[in-house]
Amino acid sequence: MITVTLHHFVLVSFGLVAAGVACMVTKRNAIGILMGVELVLNAAALNFVAFNRFHPWDPAGQAPLDGFMFAMFIIVLAAAEAAIALAIILNLYNNLASVDVDKAREMRG
Amino acid sequence: MPERQLILDLLITAFLAPLLSSVIVIFIGKRVMGKAAGWFATAVMAGAFGCSLYAAMLWMGIADHSPILLNIPWIPLPGTEAGWLYLGAMIDSLTIAMMTMVTGIAMLVHLYSVGYMAGDSRYERFFAFLSLFSFSMLGIVMANSVIMLFVFWELVGLTSYLLIGFWFEKRGPQLACKKAFVMNRIGDMGFLIGFGILFYKLGGVLLLPAAQGGMFDALRQVIEAEGHSITNPPLWLTAAGIGLFFGAIGKSAQFPLHTWLPDAMEGPTPVSSIVHSATMVAAGVYLTARLYPILTPGAHLFIATIGLITLVMAACMAMVMTDIKRVLAYSTLSQLGYMILGLGTGAYAFALFHLITHAFFKCCLFQCSGSVIHTAHHQQDMRYYGGLWRKMPITAACYLVCTLAIAGASLPWTNLGVSGFYSKDGIIAGAVHYGQAMILGGYSFGWIFYVGPMVVAYMTVFYMARSFTLTFLGKPRDKHLYDHAHEAPWTMVLPQVVLAVMAIITVPALLPYFDLIVATEPAQMVAGVLAPVPWLQQAVDVAGHSVGMTLTHTVLLMGLGWILMLGLGIALYLPGMKYSGKIAALPGINLLYTWAINKFYFDALYDTVVVNAFKALAIVVAAWDKYLVDGVVNLAGLLGKLLGWGVGWFDNNVVDAAVNGAATMAQNAGGTLRQTQSGRLRQYMLLLFTGATFAAVVAIYVLMM
Repeated sequence: MITVTLHHFVLVSFGLVAAGVACMVTKRNAIGILMGVELVLNAAALNFVAFNRFHPWDPAGQAPLDGFMFAMFIIVLAAAEAAIALAIILNLYNNLASVDVDKAREMRG
Repeated sequence: MPERQLILDLLITAFLAPLLSSVIVIFIGKRVMGKAAGWFATAVMAGAFGCSLYAAMLWMGIADHSPILLNIPWIPLPGTEAGWLYLGAMIDSLTIAMMTMVTGIAMLVHLYSVGYMAGDSRYERFFAFLSLFSFSMLGIVMANSVIMLFVFWELVGLTSYLLIGFWFEKRGPQLACKKAFVMNRIGDMGFLIGFGILFYKLGGVLLLPAAQGGMFDALRQVIEAEGHSITNPPLWLTAAGIGLFFGAIGKSAQFPLHTWLPDAMEGPTPVSSIVHSATMVAAGVYLTARLYPILTPGAHLFIATIGLITLVMAACMAMVMTDIKRVLAYSTLSQLGYMILGLGTGAYAFALFHLITHAFFKCCLFQCSGSVIHTAHHQQDMRYYGGLWRKMPITAACYLVCTLAIAGASLPWTNLGVSGFYSKDGIIAGAVHYGQAMILGGYSFGWIFYVGPMVVAYMTVFYMARSFTLTFLGKPRDKHLYDHAHEAPWTMVLPQVVLAVMAIITVPALLPYFDLIVATEPAQMVAGVLAPVPWLQQAVDVAGHSVGMTLTHTVLLMGLGWILMLGLGIALYLPGMKYSGKIAALPGINLLYTWAINKFYFDALYDTVVVNAFKALAIVVAAWDKYLVDGVVNLAGLLGKLLGWGVGWFDNNVVDAAVNGAATMAQNAGGTLRQTQSGRLRQYMLLLFTGATFAAVVAIYVLMM
């Protein structure tokens, strides 16, 4: 029987981050990049939840809730971020008739 | 005495009036007065002449003929006996005679110029110069001291330069005025040396007679204090006399500085007529006369010799020249030679007398020649004239009268003659006595002093008859010129007539003055200064004679030879130059002719020896200037330039480099960094995460440490 420890959470979280980053770096589709961003955000949320779960309780026997609260904020922020990102993607599509981020190079140096 | 004061006031008015008119004409002549400037200047000169004439009449009327003195302290001279240099006036018979003569002739020349210079673009300026010139000459005449005399002496030099070079657009006047100026400077060098000797010895140079404590009185005391006697004068006095006489050689154009005078013919003819009669050339004679008492026997001999050389040489040249003004110029030289000879041989009063008579007839001759040149379209060569008396009878008559005057015409077997007869006769008489006295004193070469002037008197008749015949008699040799000839306007004819009349009557008019000059000058001033050596004594005696007595010396000789030479001159040249050319080619004569026509090669000699030497010196000096002086300057300049280069290099390569380097670095950094702004989103992210990973690894590594 394998005991699930903090290391496992962190490793899963690391894998999510790596997958998210790989997704962001390799996808040309803006939607795909948005997905990668969601993966990275959720990896962060997972970390907060895990660290909160394994954080020592305070002397009064009260369980800590800080990490949970951060996870809730991240979910809300991710939703807002997705809305903004989709709006940007729509504008991108309006201008370029495409969602390929490599075509959006007007501001290159 | 009120008359004496009045005479002084009148003469000072006459002296300053031309200066005033010159200043007025030069400032407002062109804008305000226009053609009236000439009349204004003439009127002022007429006023000056009136003052002088009135003063002369007053002078005749008073008994006291001692000099009138006006001494105004000018420059303090501490440590000298006199204590001051004085400006002022010294007026005696000679001064008054000269003042009257100079203002009178200046007035007539001004009037003549109104006609002659009409139409000249610098008409007003001419009158300003002419008045200034007259003023300068009057200053010489009025001067009370050698230093004041020298100031006006130089002013005459300057104004003659301005007048001779009046038509400075042309090459001839440019060279002539420079030549006149430089020649005069050479003479003035001698003047300054003589002046310096006198001033050093005497400590004062006032021209006062012996009785009144002036220069001549001081001179006697100094001579006696030095152990010299009046029969054995010191060498420095001879040197001073000869030095001062060198000034006269320059101004009066004597050998060897005579070459400027014929060249000065390049000036307008009115200038020739005033320069060569009453003013500039007279200044030298006047100076010699004023300083007469300081002249030692040695100086006398020097002066007489110079005068003799000049008069013979100039007469030879006057006989061969074909330019009418040059003939008159050389005759001026010759007549000046007479005056200088007269001063040297002791015929003091006759020399001054000749100065005055000569001024009238020579001024008239130049004005007549000016009228001829004026009407002949500035053709001056007599070979193109001939028969002009039909076209301009008044000018011809005036020329004839003055020809007779300069030739010394007299009624045969009597002692009635024109003015030149009396004055020249006196000089010849003085020279004859001088020569005789020299022979008696053991100097056998004394004979030249009476043969020379006598022969030249005949030559004078000949060359004047020649110029008159060639110009006015015979057949016209240039049809075009003859057809256009006409009498000059009245402003030119009137002065000629007045002068011609004066040429006849000068002697009766001036005879009382002549006696005054004889009586006052040498006798009073010489008194006790120098006791002449025997042969000089006799010459001084001659000067003491009155006119009537000297006439007997030469009247017979003169009368005979005179008519002969006049006839010869007219007959030979009546058909033009046809026969004279053949005579000039005869074996004995042609050598002399060649020398005379080439002005005895003096110009060539001076050009070769002096002018070229100065040019060579100028080249050396120029080289010194160019290579050494300029070299130093250029070196300093070069050093400055090098320093500038250094500073400039530092600025460009160090200061600017720092600034530019910063800018370039910023630019390069920007250029490099902009490569990263590729606009590829995925690349940005790759970089971001690579960087973040790197930073995380470093952070972990550091934390683990």
